[in-house]
Amino acid sequence: MDSVFEELYQKYHHDVFQFLFYMVRNKEQAEDLVQEVYIRVFKSHHRFEGKSSEKTWLFSIARNVAIDSFRKQKGWKGRLLEKFDWSSSQVKDEHPIPEEITIQKEEIKWIYQCLDHCTVDQRSVVILRFLNDLSITETAQALGWTESKVKTTQHRALKVLKKYMELFNEKEGIESEEVRVER
Amino acid sequence: MKKSEWSDKQLEELLREMPRIQDHRNPRDIYQNISLKKRKRPAWIIPGLAAAAALFLFFLLVPKLFDGTQYSLDSAKQEESSSEEKISISEDNSSDLRKQDDSEQNEIGISDAEPKMSMTPSNKTAVYEEDTAAGTVFTYWIPDSQIQILVPVSILVTPDNNKDWLTNFTESMELLNEEEWGLTDYYPINAKLELDNNTVIVDVPNDHKYGQGSASETMFIDSLKKNIAANSQVNKIVFTTNGQPGIELGNYGVIEEIEVNPEGKHAYFLYTPDGLDTAYLVPSTETYLDINAAFEAMKSDQQQGLAASLVPGFPLKEFTIEDNKLIITMDENTTMENNQAAVYSYEAILLTAKEFGIETITVLNAPINFLGPFDLTKEMKVPLAPNHRPIQ
Repeated sequence: MDSVFEELYQKYHHDVFQFLFYMVRNKEQAEDLVQEVYIRVFKSHHRFEGKSSEKTWLFSIARNVAIDSFRKQKGWKGRLLEKFDWSSSQVKDEHPIPEEITIQKEEIKWIYQCLDHCTVDQRSVVILRFLNDLSITETAQALGWTESKVKTTQHRALKVLKKYMELFNEKEGIESEEVRVER
Repeated sequence: MKKSEWSDKQLEELLREMPRIQDHRNPRDIYQNISLKKRKRPAWIIPGLAAAAALFLFFLLVPKLFDGTQYSLDSAKQEESSSEEKISISEDNSSDLRKQDDSEQNEIGISDAEPKMSMTPSNKTAVYEEDTAAGTVFTYWIPDSQIQILVPVSILVTPDNNKDWLTNFTESMELLNEEEWGLTDYYPINAKLELDNNTVIVDVPNDHKYGQGSASETMFIDSLKKNIAANSQVNKIVFTTNGQPGIELGNYGVIEEIEVNPEGKHAYFLYTPDGLDTAYLVPSTETYLDINAAFEAMKSDQQQGLAASLVPGFPLKEFTIEDNKLIITMDENTTMENNQAAVYSYEAILLTAKEFGIETITVLNAPINFLGPFDLTKEMKVPLAPNHRPIQ
Protein backbone atom coordinates (compact mmCIF):
# COMPACT_ATOMS: atom_id res chain seq x y z
CA MET A 1 0.00 0.00 0.00
CA ASP A 2 1.04 3.53 -0.73
CA SER A 3 2.47 5.36 2.26
CA VAL A 4 0.64 8.55 1.31
CA PHE A 5 -2.62 6.68 1.22
CA GLU A 6 -1.91 5.04 4.55
CA GLU A 7 -1.19 8.36 6.18
CA LEU A 8 -4.26 10.04 4.77
CA TYR A 9 -6.41 7.09 5.72
CA GLN A 10 -5.17 7.07 9.29
CA LYS A 11 -5.67 10.75 9.81
CA TYR A 12 -8.75 11.73 7.88
CA HIS A 13 -10.60 8.80 6.37
CA HIS A 14 -13.42 8.71 8.90
CA ASP A 15 -13.89 12.48 8.91
CA VAL A 16 -14.07 12.62 5.14
CA PHE A 17 -16.42 9.66 5.04
CA GLN A 18 -18.64 11.25 7.66
CA PHE A 19 -18.80 14.46 5.66
CA LEU A 20 -19.59 12.69 2.41
CA PHE A 21 -22.23 10.52 4.01
CA TYR A 22 -24.16 13.47 5.42
CA MET A 23 -23.80 15.31 2.13
CA VAL A 24 -25.26 12.54 -0.04
CA ARG A 25 -27.11 10.61 2.73
CA ASN A 26 -26.38 7.25 1.14
CA LYS A 27 -23.76 4.92 2.48
CA GLU A 28 -22.89 3.13 -0.76
CA GLN A 29 -22.60 6.36 -2.62
CA ALA A 30 -20.42 7.80 0.11
CA GLU A 31 -18.15 4.76 -0.17
CA ASP A 32 -17.75 5.35 -3.90
CA LEU A 33 -17.18 9.05 -3.42
CA VAL A 34 -14.52 8.62 -0.78
CA GLN A 35 -12.58 6.55 -3.29
CA GLU A 36 -13.00 9.28 -5.83
CA VAL A 37 -11.57 11.71 -3.29
CA TYR A 38 -8.45 9.58 -2.96
CA ILE A 39 -8.06 9.36 -6.73
CA ARG A 40 -8.23 13.14 -7.04
CA VAL A 41 -5.82 13.49 -4.15
CA PHE A 42 -3.27 11.25 -5.84
CA LYS A 43 -3.67 13.10 -9.09
CA SER A 44 -2.96 16.47 -7.54
CA HIS A 45 -0.93 15.62 -4.48
CA HIS A 46 2.16 17.14 -6.05
CA ARG A 47 0.25 20.40 -6.44
CA PHE A 48 -0.54 20.57 -2.76
CA GLU A 49 1.75 23.29 -1.50
CA GLY A 50 0.86 23.42 2.11
CA LYS A 51 -0.83 26.79 1.73
CA SER A 52 -3.78 25.45 3.60
CA SER A 53 -3.79 22.61 6.04
CA GLU A 54 -3.99 19.08 4.68
CA LYS A 55 -7.28 18.62 6.45
CA THR A 56 -9.09 21.55 4.85
CA TRP A 57 -7.58 20.65 1.47
CA LEU A 58 -9.05 17.16 1.75
CA PHE A 59 -12.45 18.54 2.73
CA SER A 60 -12.47 20.95 -0.18
CA ILE A 61 -11.79 18.04 -2.53
CA ALA A 62 -14.51 15.99 -0.83
CA ARG A 63 -16.98 18.83 -1.25
CA ASN A 64 -16.17 19.15 -4.96
CA VAL A 65 -16.58 15.41 -5.38
CA ALA A 66 -19.98 15.58 -3.69
CA ILE A 67 -21.11 18.49 -5.84
CA ASP A 68 -19.92 16.70 -8.99
CA SER A 69 -21.90 13.65 -8.01
CA PHE A 70 -25.04 15.79 -7.58
CA ARG A 71 -24.48 17.23 -11.03
CA LYS A 72 -23.95 13.78 -12.51
CA GLN A 73 -27.16 12.55 -10.95
CA LYS A 74 -29.01 15.37 -12.56
CA GLY A 75 -27.47 14.72 -15.95
CA TRP A 76 -29.52 14.22 -19.09
CA LYS A 77 -30.19 10.65 -18.06
CA GLY A 78 -31.63 11.67 -14.73
CA ARG A 79 -33.79 14.33 -16.27
CA LEU A 80 -35.05 11.96 -18.96
CA LEU A 81 -35.89 9.27 -16.45
CA GLU A 82 -37.60 11.77 -14.20
CA LYS A 83 -39.94 12.65 -17.06
CA PHE A 84 -41.05 9.08 -17.53
CA ASP A 85 -40.85 7.78 -14.01
CA TRP A 86 -43.95 9.40 -12.50
CA SER A 87 -44.02 7.13 -9.53
CA SER A 88 -40.76 8.57 -8.23
CA SER A 89 -42.04 12.14 -8.48
CA GLN A 90 -45.08 11.25 -6.43
CA VAL A 91 -43.47 9.20 -3.72
CA LYS A 92 -40.12 10.68 -2.94
CA ASP A 93 -38.03 8.55 -0.67
CA GLU A 94 -34.60 8.62 -2.15
CA HIS A 95 -32.84 8.69 1.17
CA PRO A 96 -33.87 5.87 3.43
CA ILE A 97 -32.77 6.66 6.95
CA PRO A 98 -29.80 4.47 7.81
CA GLU A 99 -29.81 2.21 10.80
CA GLU A 100 -27.31 4.35 12.68
CA ILE A 101 -29.87 7.17 12.70
CA THR A 102 -33.02 5.19 13.36
CA ILE A 103 -31.76 3.88 16.67
CA GLN A 104 -31.20 7.46 17.86
CA LYS A 105 -33.71 9.60 19.66
CA GLU A 106 -36.55 11.31 17.84
CA GLU A 107 -34.93 14.73 17.55
CA ILE A 108 -31.89 13.29 15.79
CA LYS A 109 -34.14 11.65 13.23
CA TRP A 110 -35.92 14.94 12.68
CA ILE A 111 -32.82 16.96 12.22
CA TYR A 112 -31.44 14.35 9.83
CA GLN A 113 -34.52 14.79 7.69
CA CYS A 114 -34.43 18.56 8.05
CA LEU A 115 -30.93 18.64 6.58
CA ASP A 116 -32.59 17.71 3.31
CA HIS A 117 -34.16 21.14 3.12
CA CYS A 118 -30.89 22.98 3.29
CA THR A 119 -29.01 23.99 0.16
CA VAL A 120 -25.78 22.23 -0.64
CA ASP A 121 -23.75 25.17 0.65
CA GLN A 122 -25.72 25.35 3.87
CA ARG A 123 -25.43 21.64 4.37
CA SER A 124 -21.66 21.73 3.79
CA VAL A 125 -21.24 24.42 6.40
CA VAL A 126 -23.43 22.67 8.96
CA ILE A 127 -21.66 19.36 8.50
CA LEU A 128 -18.17 20.83 8.55
CA ARG A 129 -18.84 23.06 11.53
CA PHE A 130 -20.82 20.77 13.83
CA LEU A 131 -20.25 17.21 12.68
CA ASN A 132 -16.61 17.52 11.71
CA ASP A 133 -15.91 20.08 14.41
CA LEU A 134 -14.06 22.49 12.14
CA SER A 135 -13.56 26.07 13.25
CA ILE A 136 -14.99 28.99 11.27
CA THR A 137 -11.53 29.64 9.83
CA GLU A 138 -11.01 26.04 8.80
CA THR A 139 -14.44 25.88 7.24
CA ALA A 140 -13.74 29.05 5.31
CA GLN A 141 -10.51 27.52 4.03
CA ALA A 142 -12.14 24.25 3.05
CA LEU A 143 -14.91 26.00 1.17
CA GLY A 144 -12.72 28.74 -0.21
CA TRP A 145 -14.98 31.39 1.27
CA THR A 146 -14.49 34.32 3.55
CA GLU A 147 -15.21 33.78 7.22
CA SER A 148 -18.16 36.13 7.13
CA LYS A 149 -19.75 34.14 4.32
CA VAL A 150 -19.33 31.02 6.41
CA LYS A 151 -21.03 32.77 9.34
CA THR A 152 -24.03 34.02 7.37
CA THR A 153 -24.48 30.67 5.63
CA GLN A 154 -24.35 28.93 8.97
CA HIS A 155 -26.91 31.35 10.35
CA ARG A 156 -29.26 30.77 7.44
CA ALA A 157 -28.80 27.01 7.68
CA LEU A 158 -29.77 27.00 11.33
CA LYS A 159 -32.79 29.12 10.49
CA VAL A 160 -33.95 26.59 7.91
CA LEU A 161 -33.38 23.74 10.35
CA LYS A 162 -35.27 25.59 13.06
CA LYS A 163 -38.23 26.17 10.79
CA TYR A 164 -38.56 22.52 9.83
CA MET A 165 -37.81 21.27 13.31
CA GLU A 166 -40.77 23.29 14.49
CA LEU A 167 -42.97 21.65 11.90
CA PHE A 168 -41.97 18.27 13.30
CA ASN A 169 -42.58 19.60 16.77
CA GLU A 170 -46.11 20.68 15.91
CA LYS A 171 -46.92 17.34 14.32
CA GLU A 172 -45.62 15.62 17.41
CA GLY A 173 -47.63 17.96 19.59
CA ILE A 174 -50.84 17.21 17.73
CA GLU A 175 -50.20 13.51 17.95
CA SER A 176 -49.51 13.59 21.66
CA GLU A 177 -52.57 15.75 22.24
CA GLU A 178 -54.69 13.25 20.32
CA VAL A 179 -53.31 10.52 22.50
CA ARG A 180 -54.28 12.47 25.56
CA VAL A 181 -57.81 13.12 24.30
CA GLU A 182 -58.32 9.43 23.74
CA ARG A 183 -57.41 8.78 27.29
CA MET B 1 -45.26 20.84 27.32
CA LYS B 2 -44.74 22.08 23.77
CA LYS B 3 -41.18 23.02 22.95
CA SER B 4 -42.08 25.81 20.59
CA GLU B 5 -38.68 27.38 20.04
CA TRP B 6 -35.38 25.75 19.15
CA SER B 7 -32.44 27.89 20.06
CA ASP B 8 -29.31 27.92 17.87
CA LYS B 9 -27.43 26.41 20.77
CA GLN B 10 -29.84 23.53 21.06
CA LEU B 11 -29.69 22.85 17.37
CA GLU B 12 -25.91 22.92 17.41
CA GLU B 13 -25.87 20.48 20.30
CA LEU B 14 -28.29 18.24 18.48
CA LEU B 15 -26.16 18.31 15.36
CA ARG B 16 -23.07 17.46 17.37
CA GLU B 17 -24.92 14.51 18.82
CA MET B 18 -25.57 13.03 15.42
CA PRO B 19 -24.03 9.60 15.15
CA ARG B 20 -20.69 9.03 13.51
CA ILE B 21 -21.13 6.96 10.40
CA GLN B 22 -18.24 4.55 9.90
CA ASP B 23 -16.78 3.19 6.74
CA HIS B 24 -16.42 -0.43 7.73
CA ARG B 25 -14.37 -1.44 4.75
CA ASN B 26 -10.80 -2.56 5.08
CA PRO B 27 -8.39 0.18 4.00
CA ARG B 28 -6.63 -2.42 1.87
CA ASP B 29 -9.82 -3.00 -0.12
CA ILE B 30 -10.31 0.70 -0.56
CA TYR B 31 -6.78 1.07 -1.81
CA GLN B 32 -7.30 -1.78 -4.25
CA ASN B 33 -10.50 -0.22 -5.54
CA ILE B 34 -8.69 3.04 -6.06
CA SER B 35 -5.84 1.50 -8.03
CA LEU B 36 -8.37 -0.36 -10.15
CA LYS B 37 -10.30 2.79 -10.83
CA LYS B 38 -7.20 4.77 -11.64
CA ARG B 39 -6.38 2.44 -14.50
CA LYS B 40 -9.94 2.20 -15.72
CA ARG B 41 -10.49 3.74 -19.12
CA PRO B 42 -13.70 5.58 -19.84
CA ALA B 43 -16.46 3.06 -20.33
CA TRP B 44 -17.15 4.04 -23.93
CA ILE B 45 -13.70 3.27 -25.29
CA ILE B 46 -14.01 -0.49 -25.81
CA PRO B 47 -17.55 -0.47 -27.23
CA GLY B 48 -16.48 2.48 -29.33
CA LEU B 49 -13.58 0.60 -30.79
CA ALA B 50 -15.78 -2.42 -31.43
CA ALA B 51 -18.33 -0.26 -33.20
CA ALA B 52 -15.65 1.34 -35.34
CA ALA B 53 -14.28 -2.05 -36.31
CA ALA B 54 -17.76 -3.31 -37.13
CA LEU B 55 -18.45 -0.28 -39.32
CA PHE B 56 -15.15 -0.74 -41.06
CA LEU B 57 -15.93 -4.37 -41.84
CA PHE B 58 -19.42 -3.43 -42.92
CA PHE B 59 -18.19 -0.94 -45.48
CA LEU B 60 -15.58 -3.39 -46.64
CA LEU B 61 -17.96 -6.28 -47.17
CA VAL B 62 -21.21 -4.72 -48.26
CA PRO B 63 -20.05 -3.44 -51.67
CA LYS B 64 -18.73 -6.89 -52.52
CA LEU B 65 -21.99 -8.52 -51.50
CA PHE B 66 -24.04 -6.13 -53.54
CA ASP B 67 -22.21 -5.95 -56.82
CA GLY B 68 -21.04 -9.50 -57.14
CA THR B 69 -22.28 -9.54 -60.73
CA GLN B 70 -20.93 -6.15 -61.65
CA TYR B 71 -17.61 -7.19 -60.32
CA SER B 72 -17.21 -10.06 -62.75
CA LEU B 73 -18.38 -7.86 -65.60
CA ASP B 74 -15.73 -5.33 -64.76
CA SER B 75 -13.03 -7.93 -64.76
CA ALA B 76 -14.19 -9.19 -68.11
CA LYS B 77 -13.98 -5.68 -69.48
CA GLN B 78 -10.52 -5.29 -68.11
CA GLU B 79 -9.49 -8.44 -69.86
CA GLU B 80 -10.85 -7.07 -73.08
CA SER B 81 -8.93 -3.88 -72.89
CA SER B 82 -5.77 -5.62 -71.87
CA SER B 83 -6.04 -8.02 -74.77
CA GLU B 84 -6.52 -5.12 -77.11
CA GLU B 85 -3.42 -3.51 -75.73
CA LYS B 86 -1.49 -6.65 -76.17
CA ILE B 87 -2.55 -6.88 -79.77
CA SER B 88 -1.44 -3.39 -80.55
CA ILE B 89 1.92 -4.17 -79.01
CA SER B 90 2.54 -7.38 -80.84
CA GLU B 91 1.58 -5.90 -84.16
CA ASP B 92 3.57 -8.21 -86.43
CA ASN B 93 2.27 -11.26 -84.68
CA SER B 94 -1.32 -10.43 -85.37
CA SER B 95 -0.62 -9.30 -88.92
CA ASP B 96 0.94 -12.69 -89.48
CA LEU B 97 -2.20 -14.27 -88.25
CA ARG B 98 -4.32 -12.09 -90.44
CA LYS B 99 -2.29 -13.08 -93.45
CA GLN B 100 -2.79 -16.67 -92.54
CA ASP B 101 -6.49 -16.14 -92.19
CA ASP B 102 -6.63 -14.40 -95.51
CA SER B 103 -4.91 -17.22 -97.28
CA GLU B 104 -7.14 -19.74 -95.60
CA GLN B 105 -10.20 -17.84 -96.63
CA ASN B 106 -8.99 -17.62 -100.17
CA GLU B 107 -8.29 -21.29 -100.35
CA ILE B 108 -11.70 -22.21 -99.13
CA GLY B 109 -13.23 -19.52 -101.25
CA ILE B 110 -15.40 -17.81 -98.75
CA SER B 111 -17.59 -15.10 -100.15
CA ASP B 112 -17.07 -11.51 -99.15
CA ALA B 113 -20.47 -11.40 -97.47
CA GLU B 114 -18.77 -11.10 -94.13
CA PRO B 115 -16.92 -7.83 -94.20
CA LYS B 116 -13.40 -8.31 -93.05
CA MET B 117 -13.41 -4.94 -91.35
CA SER B 118 -15.61 -6.20 -88.56
CA MET B 119 -12.90 -8.61 -87.57
CA THR B 120 -10.69 -7.29 -84.85
CA PRO B 121 -7.61 -9.43 -84.70
CA SER B 122 -7.50 -11.69 -81.69
CA ASN B 123 -4.96 -14.36 -81.07
CA LYS B 124 -5.60 -18.00 -80.79
CA THR B 125 -3.48 -19.56 -78.10
CA ALA B 126 -3.59 -23.30 -78.71
CA VAL B 127 -1.76 -25.39 -81.30
CA TYR B 128 -4.00 -26.66 -84.13
CA GLU B 129 -3.47 -29.25 -86.77
CA GLU B 130 -2.54 -26.71 -89.41
CA ASP B 131 0.26 -25.39 -87.20
CA THR B 132 2.16 -28.66 -87.20
CA ALA B 133 3.72 -27.80 -90.51
CA ALA B 134 6.15 -25.70 -88.50
CA GLY B 135 7.35 -28.65 -86.46
CA THR B 136 6.49 -31.14 -83.78
CA VAL B 137 4.49 -30.08 -80.74
CA PHE B 138 6.00 -30.54 -77.33
CA THR B 139 3.94 -29.66 -74.28
CA TYR B 140 5.79 -28.85 -71.08
CA TRP B 141 4.09 -28.53 -67.71
CA ILE B 142 5.67 -25.59 -65.98
CA PRO B 143 4.92 -24.47 -62.39
CA ASP B 144 3.43 -20.99 -62.06
CA SER B 145 5.33 -18.31 -60.19
CA GLN B 146 3.69 -19.38 -56.89
CA ILE B 147 4.48 -23.06 -57.53
CA GLN B 148 0.83 -23.95 -57.04
CA ILE B 149 -0.36 -25.10 -60.43
CA LEU B 150 1.24 -26.60 -63.50
CA VAL B 151 0.72 -24.61 -66.68
CA PRO B 152 0.95 -26.54 -69.93
CA VAL B 153 2.99 -24.64 -72.50
CA SER B 154 3.41 -25.94 -76.04
CA ILE B 155 6.23 -25.17 -78.38
CA LEU B 156 6.82 -26.17 -81.96
CA VAL B 157 10.24 -27.62 -82.65
CA THR B 158 11.90 -29.29 -85.57
CA PRO B 159 12.90 -32.66 -84.19
CA ASP B 160 16.03 -34.57 -85.01
CA ASN B 161 14.56 -37.67 -86.56
CA ASN B 162 17.56 -39.80 -85.62
CA LYS B 163 16.74 -39.45 -81.95
CA ASP B 164 13.73 -40.71 -80.05
CA TRP B 165 11.02 -38.29 -78.92
CA LEU B 166 12.25 -38.25 -75.33
CA THR B 167 15.72 -37.07 -76.32
CA ASN B 168 14.19 -34.40 -78.50
CA PHE B 169 11.84 -33.47 -75.69
CA THR B 170 14.69 -33.21 -73.18
CA GLU B 171 16.92 -31.25 -75.48
CA SER B 172 14.14 -28.79 -76.27
CA MET B 173 13.79 -27.95 -72.58
CA GLU B 174 16.58 -25.45 -73.04
CA LEU B 175 14.43 -23.48 -75.44
CA LEU B 176 11.84 -22.64 -72.77
CA ASN B 177 11.75 -19.08 -71.44
CA GLU B 178 9.71 -19.76 -68.33
CA GLU B 179 10.43 -16.50 -66.58
CA GLU B 180 9.65 -14.42 -69.62
CA TRP B 181 6.31 -16.23 -69.75
CA GLY B 182 5.54 -15.33 -66.12
CA LEU B 183 6.24 -18.83 -64.80
CA THR B 184 8.91 -20.43 -62.62
CA ASP B 185 12.24 -21.35 -64.16
CA TYR B 186 12.01 -25.14 -63.92
CA TYR B 187 13.56 -26.64 -67.06
CA PRO B 188 15.89 -28.25 -67.97
CA ILE B 189 15.26 -30.60 -65.08
CA ASN B 190 18.17 -31.88 -63.04
CA ALA B 191 17.78 -35.48 -64.20
CA LYS B 192 18.63 -37.75 -67.09
CA LEU B 193 15.66 -39.14 -68.98
CA GLU B 194 15.98 -42.36 -70.95
CA LEU B 195 13.45 -44.24 -72.98
CA ASP B 196 13.15 -48.00 -72.57
CA ASN B 197 10.29 -49.38 -74.66
CA ASN B 198 7.20 -48.17 -72.85
CA THR B 199 9.06 -46.87 -69.83
CA VAL B 200 10.85 -43.66 -69.08
CA ILE B 201 13.83 -44.05 -66.77
CA VAL B 202 14.45 -40.93 -64.69
CA ASP B 203 17.91 -40.80 -63.18
CA VAL B 204 18.53 -38.02 -60.65
CA PRO B 205 21.95 -37.15 -59.18
CA ASN B 206 22.65 -37.80 -55.50
CA ASP B 207 22.35 -34.12 -54.61
CA HIS B 208 19.04 -33.52 -56.36
CA LYS B 209 16.76 -30.97 -54.73
CA TYR B 210 13.42 -32.42 -55.74
CA GLY B 211 12.93 -34.03 -52.33
CA GLN B 212 13.02 -30.75 -50.45
CA GLY B 213 9.52 -29.89 -49.37
CA SER B 214 6.22 -31.38 -50.34
CA ALA B 215 5.47 -28.71 -52.97
CA SER B 216 8.61 -29.39 -54.96
CA GLU B 217 8.10 -33.15 -54.71
CA THR B 218 4.54 -32.96 -55.93
CA MET B 219 5.54 -30.61 -58.72
CA PHE B 220 8.34 -32.95 -59.79
CA ILE B 221 6.19 -36.07 -59.88
CA ASP B 222 3.18 -34.32 -61.41
CA SER B 223 5.15 -32.51 -64.06
CA LEU B 224 6.89 -35.74 -65.08
CA LYS B 225 3.61 -37.60 -65.28
CA LYS B 226 1.89 -34.87 -67.23
CA ASN B 227 4.84 -34.28 -69.54
CA ILE B 228 4.96 -37.91 -70.42
CA ALA B 229 1.20 -38.32 -70.67
CA ALA B 230 0.87 -35.27 -72.90
CA ASN B 231 3.66 -36.12 -75.29
CA SER B 232 3.72 -39.92 -75.52
CA GLN B 233 1.96 -43.20 -74.90
CA VAL B 234 4.49 -44.25 -72.25
CA ASN B 235 2.75 -45.62 -69.17
CA LYS B 236 5.50 -46.15 -66.62
CA ILE B 237 8.23 -44.08 -65.02
CA VAL B 238 11.16 -45.80 -63.28
CA PHE B 239 13.29 -43.76 -60.91
CA THR B 240 16.98 -44.20 -60.19
CA THR B 241 19.34 -42.11 -58.10
CA ASN B 242 22.81 -42.00 -59.59
CA GLY B 243 22.19 -45.37 -61.19
CA GLN B 244 20.77 -46.99 -58.04
CA PRO B 245 17.08 -47.88 -58.14
CA GLY B 246 14.63 -45.60 -56.37
CA ILE B 247 14.38 -41.91 -55.54
CA GLU B 248 14.17 -40.56 -52.00
CA LEU B 249 11.38 -38.04 -51.58
CA GLY B 250 10.50 -36.77 -48.10
CA ASN B 251 6.78 -37.29 -48.19
CA TYR B 252 6.60 -40.23 -50.56
CA GLY B 253 9.56 -42.15 -49.16
CA VAL B 254 11.56 -44.13 -51.69
CA ILE B 255 9.79 -44.48 -55.00
CA GLU B 256 11.02 -46.89 -57.63
CA GLU B 257 8.36 -46.54 -60.27
CA ILE B 258 5.02 -44.88 -60.94
CA GLU B 259 2.27 -45.53 -63.42
CA VAL B 260 1.37 -42.89 -65.96
CA ASN B 261 -2.30 -42.81 -66.77
CA PRO B 262 -3.68 -40.84 -69.67
CA GLU B 263 -4.95 -37.51 -68.46
CA GLY B 264 -8.48 -36.42 -69.19
CA LYS B 265 -11.81 -35.07 -68.02
CA HIS B 266 -10.37 -31.79 -66.82
CA ALA B 267 -11.92 -28.40 -67.43
CA TYR B 268 -9.82 -25.50 -68.70
CA PHE B 269 -9.65 -22.24 -66.81
CA LEU B 270 -7.93 -18.93 -67.35
CA TYR B 271 -4.73 -18.24 -65.50
CA THR B 272 -3.03 -14.86 -65.81
CA PRO B 273 0.44 -14.56 -64.27
CA ASP B 274 1.08 -11.46 -62.17
CA GLY B 275 2.37 -8.57 -64.20
CA LEU B 276 1.49 -10.12 -67.54
CA ASP B 277 -1.55 -9.44 -69.67
CA THR B 278 -1.53 -12.68 -71.60
CA ALA B 279 -3.46 -15.52 -70.10
CA TYR B 280 -3.00 -19.26 -70.14
CA LEU B 281 -5.68 -21.88 -70.43
CA VAL B 282 -4.91 -24.29 -67.62
CA PRO B 283 -6.70 -27.57 -66.89
CA SER B 284 -8.21 -28.00 -63.46
CA THR B 285 -6.64 -30.38 -60.96
CA GLU B 286 -9.96 -32.08 -60.37
CA THR B 287 -11.72 -34.09 -63.02
CA TYR B 288 -15.38 -33.78 -63.95
CA LEU B 289 -17.94 -36.48 -64.51
CA ASP B 290 -19.10 -35.20 -67.87
CA ILE B 291 -18.64 -32.29 -70.18
CA ASN B 292 -21.76 -30.64 -68.82
CA ALA B 293 -20.30 -30.45 -65.32
CA ALA B 294 -17.03 -29.17 -66.73
CA PHE B 295 -18.73 -26.36 -68.69
CA GLU B 296 -20.78 -25.45 -65.64
CA ALA B 297 -17.62 -25.21 -63.52
CA MET B 298 -15.92 -23.07 -66.14
CA LYS B 299 -18.45 -20.30 -65.54
CA SER B 300 -17.04 -19.51 -62.11
CA ASP B 301 -13.62 -18.79 -60.65
CA GLN B 302 -11.68 -21.59 -59.01
CA GLN B 303 -8.99 -21.76 -56.37
CA GLN B 304 -5.28 -21.25 -56.98
CA GLY B 305 -5.80 -18.24 -59.23
CA LEU B 306 -7.80 -20.03 -61.89
CA ALA B 307 -10.44 -17.70 -63.30
CA ALA B 308 -13.70 -18.50 -65.04
CA SER B 309 -13.06 -19.21 -68.70
CA LEU B 310 -16.64 -19.23 -69.96
CA VAL B 311 -17.47 -15.54 -69.91
CA PRO B 312 -20.98 -14.18 -70.42
CA GLY B 313 -19.60 -12.62 -73.61
CA PHE B 314 -19.66 -16.09 -75.10
CA PRO B 315 -23.39 -16.88 -75.05
CA LEU B 316 -23.44 -20.65 -74.91
CA LYS B 317 -27.07 -21.82 -74.88
CA GLU B 318 -26.98 -25.57 -75.17
CA PHE B 319 -24.95 -28.37 -76.67
CA THR B 320 -25.35 -31.94 -77.83
CA ILE B 321 -22.84 -34.69 -78.34
CA GLU B 322 -22.98 -37.10 -81.25
CA ASP B 323 -20.24 -39.70 -81.22
CA ASN B 324 -17.10 -37.62 -81.22
CA LYS B 325 -18.83 -34.44 -82.29
CA LEU B 326 -19.88 -31.60 -80.06
CA ILE B 327 -22.58 -29.35 -81.40
CA ILE B 328 -22.86 -26.03 -79.60
CA THR B 329 -25.93 -23.89 -79.98
CA MET B 330 -25.41 -20.25 -79.24
CA ASP B 331 -27.96 -17.76 -78.06
CA GLU B 332 -28.54 -15.86 -81.28
CA ASN B 333 -30.45 -13.04 -79.64
CA THR B 334 -27.52 -11.83 -77.64
CA THR B 335 -24.67 -9.78 -78.94
CA MET B 336 -21.34 -11.44 -79.05
CA GLU B 337 -18.25 -9.38 -79.29
CA ASN B 338 -15.31 -10.45 -81.28
CA ASN B 339 -12.70 -10.00 -78.59
CA GLN B 340 -9.94 -11.87 -76.86
CA ALA B 341 -12.14 -12.90 -73.92
CA ALA B 342 -14.53 -14.66 -76.28
CA VAL B 343 -11.60 -16.29 -78.08
CA TYR B 344 -10.34 -17.60 -74.74
CA SER B 345 -13.82 -18.96 -73.98
CA TYR B 346 -14.03 -20.69 -77.33
CA GLU B 347 -10.60 -22.22 -76.95
CA ALA B 348 -11.39 -23.28 -73.39
CA ILE B 349 -14.44 -25.11 -74.78
CA LEU B 350 -12.34 -26.73 -77.49
CA LEU B 351 -9.68 -27.87 -75.05
CA THR B 352 -12.18 -29.10 -72.48
CA ALA B 353 -14.12 -30.94 -75.17
CA LYS B 354 -10.89 -32.65 -76.17
CA GLU B 355 -10.48 -33.82 -72.57
CA PHE B 356 -13.77 -35.65 -72.94
CA GLY B 357 -12.81 -37.35 -76.19
CA ILE B 358 -14.49 -34.90 -78.57
CA GLU B 359 -12.79 -34.57 -81.93
CA THR B 360 -14.76 -31.92 -83.79
CA ILE B 361 -16.98 -29.06 -82.78
CA THR B 362 -19.74 -27.33 -84.71
CA VAL B 363 -21.21 -24.02 -83.68
CA LEU B 364 -24.83 -23.23 -84.51
CA ASN B 365 -26.61 -19.88 -84.38
CA ALA B 366 -23.42 -17.94 -83.78
CA PRO B 367 -24.22 -14.22 -83.63
CA ILE B 368 -21.00 -13.53 -85.51
CA ASN B 369 -19.40 -15.64 -88.18
CA PHE B 370 -15.81 -14.95 -87.28
CA LEU B 371 -14.37 -15.04 -83.83
CA GLY B 372 -10.78 -13.93 -83.95
CA PRO B 373 -9.00 -16.37 -86.22
CA PHE B 374 -11.84 -18.87 -86.06
CA ASP B 375 -14.55 -19.36 -88.66
CA LEU B 376 -17.55 -20.29 -86.56
CA THR B 377 -19.57 -21.39 -89.57
CA LYS B 378 -17.32 -24.41 -90.11
CA GLU B 379 -16.74 -27.57 -88.23
CA MET B 380 -13.69 -27.17 -86.06
CA LYS B 381 -11.16 -29.79 -84.98
CA VAL B 382 -10.07 -29.75 -81.37
CA PRO B 383 -6.58 -28.33 -80.78
CA LEU B 384 -3.54 -30.52 -80.46
CA ALA B 385 -2.13 -28.78 -77.42
CA PRO B 386 -2.84 -25.72 -75.27
CA ASN B 387 -0.94 -22.44 -74.85
CA HIS B 388 1.33 -22.19 -77.83
CA ARG B 389 4.33 -20.01 -77.13
CA PRO B 390 6.78 -19.13 -79.88
CA ILE B 391 10.44 -19.87 -79.24
CA GLN B 392 13.46 -18.30 -80.79
